[in-house]
Amino acid sequence: MVNLTKLYAVGGQITRIVHEWCLTPIDTHLKRGFDKMENAWLIPLFPLLSFLLLLLIGKRLKEASAYVGILMTLASLVFSILVLLERFSEPTYLYRFDWLTIGEMHLTAGFEVNQLNALMLFIVSLVSFLVHTYSKGYMHGDERFHVFYAYLGLFTFAMLGLVISPNILQTYIFWELVGLGSFLLIGFYYYKEEAKAAAKKAFIMTRIGDVGLLIGMILLFWQTNSFEYSEIFKAVEAGAISNTMITLTAILIFIGAIGKSGQFPLHTWLPDAMEGPTPVSALIHAATMVAAGVYLVAALFPLFLASKTALMTVAVIGGFTAIFAASIGLVQTDIKRVLAYSTVSQLGYMMLALGSAGYVAGVFHLMTHAFFKALLFLAAGSVIHAVHTQNIEEMGGLWKKLKFTAPLFLIGTLAISGVPGLSGFFSKDEILVAAWEGGHPVLFLLALIAAFMTAFYMFRLFFMVFTGENRGKQTHVHESPSTMTLPMLLLGILAVVAGYVNTPWFGSFLGDWLTDGNPVLGHGHIEGPAWIMAAATIVSLAGILLAYLIYGKRSIAPDWLSGKGDMLHTVLYNKYYIDEFYQMTVVAFVTGFSYLLRFIDVFIVEGIIKGVTGIIQGLGKLGSKMQTGQVQTYGAVAFVGLAVLVVIYALTGGYLR
Amino acid sequence: MTFSGEFFAFMALALVAIIGGVLLLNLNKVVHMVVALIFTFVSIAGIYILLSAEFVAAVQVLIYSGAITIIMLFGIMLTKPYDDSEAKTGKWRKILVFLGVVGFAFAVYLGIYHFDIQQVPTTLHEDNVLQIGKALYTKYIIPFEFVSVLLLAALIGAIILAKREDKEADKQ
Amino acid sequence: MSSVPASAFLALALILFCIGLYGALTKRNTVIVLISIELMLNAVNINLVTFSKYGLSPSIDGQIFALFAMAVAAAEAAVGLAILMALYRNKKTVHIDEMNEMKH
Repeated sequence: MVNLTKLYAVGGQITRIVHEWCLTPIDTHLKRGFDKMENAWLIPLFPLLSFLLLLLIGKRLKEASAYVGILMTLASLVFSILVLLERFSEPTYLYRFDWLTIGEMHLTAGFEVNQLNALMLFIVSLVSFLVHTYSKGYMHGDERFHVFYAYLGLFTFAMLGLVISPNILQTYIFWELVGLGSFLLIGFYYYKEEAKAAAKKAFIMTRIGDVGLLIGMILLFWQTNSFEYSEIFKAVEAGAISNTMITLTAILIFIGAIGKSGQFPLHTWLPDAMEGPTPVSALIHAATMVAAGVYLVAALFPLFLASKTALMTVAVIGGFTAIFAASIGLVQTDIKRVLAYSTVSQLGYMMLALGSAGYVAGVFHLMTHAFFKALLFLAAGSVIHAVHTQNIEEMGGLWKKLKFTAPLFLIGTLAISGVPGLSGFFSKDEILVAAWEGGHPVLFLLALIAAFMTAFYMFRLFFMVFTGENRGKQTHVHESPSTMTLPMLLLGILAVVAGYVNTPWFGSFLGDWLTDGNPVLGHGHIEGPAWIMAAATIVSLAGILLAYLIYGKRSIAPDWLSGKGDMLHTVLYNKYYIDEFYQMTVVAFVTGFSYLLRFIDVFIVEGIIKGVTGIIQGLGKLGSKMQTGQVQTYGAVAFVGLAVLVVIYALTGGYLR
Repeated sequence: MTFSGEFFAFMALALVAIIGGVLLLNLNKVVHMVVALIFTFVSIAGIYILLSAEFVAAVQVLIYSGAITIIMLFGIMLTKPYDDSEAKTGKWRKILVFLGVVGFAFAVYLGIYHFDIQQVPTTLHEDNVLQIGKALYTKYIIPFEFVSVLLLAALIGAIILAKREDKEADKQ
Repeated sequence: MSSVPASAFLALALILFCIGLYGALTKRNTVIVLISIELMLNAVNINLVTFSKYGLSPSIDGQIFALFAMAVAAAEAAVGLAILMALYRNKKTVHIDEMNEMKH
């Protein structure tokens, strides 16, 4: 039962905090109140406020809705930065209160600011703010402009709430909320059949994973009697849970991460999700929500560390996804789909890093990837905005026309390809080192090949879009407005410099900070042989060179890989027929099963119902037929009834016995 | 059971009464049915005599065999009974009612069969009419008066019901 | 003392009652239905008179009841027939299955 008194107390406390905060003079805030991590709970509330406001008055605001959203996310961003700075010098802040009391059991709610959470807060609110700004230009003229911003607010709220949750139950609640936000935004163009189908697909496929997460969560609660991360880790450390159970729960939770992060075999929804507006792809399906799976594994990292099998599973799935998605990305012709497969592949990288016990590497790559992939998506959006097509075969020669977008896209491409000096290079190097040192030479090799492929397909994309002759019909190509280019510029800068927070040359500041106070997470920096860095550099440069030769200089005919009719090309182009495979197996089975159920419903259940109604109707008809108005008939019926009663009475006991 | 004259008289009377009833059910013409019933009514009067109720027997002959039968015959005469239009009630109802009647008779007969009531000598047959008159004008005086009111009401009611309405009479 | 047992009279009454009942419920002609009802009343009268003679304390009351019943039956026959005449005037039929006024 909900403890009402407690609820009131909590409500009162929240009111008091808000009240005090409002009454404090501004300079005091600046000195004390503002930069306290205690106020971190305010961060998700700003986007929520934006969502509610736009829900209520968005229709009247029209395009001015953008300012509400931008301002609110800016407030979140400022707070996040303050919290992040604060967290550099102060220990983890954890606040929680009893939410539900059921007998002896206390379910708590609250928020926690540890290193990972603070970093995620920063990433999410930054990308969200930039996307809000960008969308003002991109969505200009859309009829449901304010709805878009409302949805963005809802999603940002959910995502920020997700990353400050101190327990897995709260995480799960926000986890589902981000799923909802993603569903709404993918299906934003609901009048397009593909968008509708993609939204449904995304929702259902992530839901499959969520079931795993839910079961894992319940098992954990059963074993440790708590949803708290700290309690769970304590129990794991004390050996209170059997090894089998740890492995089982870890893998079940990882299934949730697979669904959300688009890992093989639940990856097919992510490329389809590109039906949503491009800023959404940048925010949700590149930088934040899909990284939630990685975040979840990172947040529960001590649990995964306790089971070799679970770690191995994570690493293998991650490594396989990385190369698998990269190979599909080689031949796709839709600019957003190439980026989507690249996202899947990069998420696989992160999983591989985590699975190889490279906690820092995974989180580091999560951060850099958020920046350069958001940049790439926003730049791609700018290109689409300019030429009104997503097919790269209809583009080309845009370098001169998009003077601002093109160099930024190039920066993003260089970063993701792992060219030395840019952020992607450092994080990818970390992952390769982690995979090597983690004792997975095969996975290391896969990752290396995937890195080569990444460089290749990204530059294929670049060359096909920006160089050569214009193959499209668009004549009126224009650069995007400044609301769109400025966020890109900021992300471009971050894509270049973000890597320097954790490098083998200038010190591993990020790693040291992330693992500070948590020796179980591993060292801030894993020392690896120097040749790994060299190899990574060489493969990425080789990929770029090959792409240049084929698509830039055209000295090698592209037919050797993308020749139509070629079997390998066909298989890759059709994404290994995974969708078709699902269609034929799972979907066909479910459809067949539902037909069976429908059969039961129509013929058996409805048959019974029809039988019952038929009998009742028959009785009714009989009754109305008897209603002849003839006294004699009434008398006959009444008498026969009496006779039956009397005979029964006489036979069953009689009146004389 | 002794085969006394009383017993034979009862058997004969009962037989005539039942045959009359059966004929009522099976004859085709309405007048014949009513006539068949006269036999029944008269035999019932005989049964009353066997039961030491001479006055009731006399009244039975007067009222039933006389008055009611005559009224019924008049009724038949004044209406048009020989209308051979199709019956609307089916065979099924007859069968059902027959079964119901048989079942009812069976159930009641179960009660009658072992019904052994004691018999004590009575003086009912001595000055039967005197006894009835005494009881009727002393103990049952109020019901008796009520019956006279009832008969009066029935008389007036029957006249009003059976009388042709003026308008109708004008029309015809 | 009578040599005929009470149950014989009761059985006769029962048979007559059943005949009357069957006739009342199945005959088409309203006059016959009325007569059948008279027959049922007669059967009841037999019962009344039988119980006035038989039993531990025989008394004249049963016969008196029978007389009352006859008076009521006569009144009923008269009124019944009057109703029949009125109905016949309106519907030109005496068949009971064509009288369905209670339907509405």
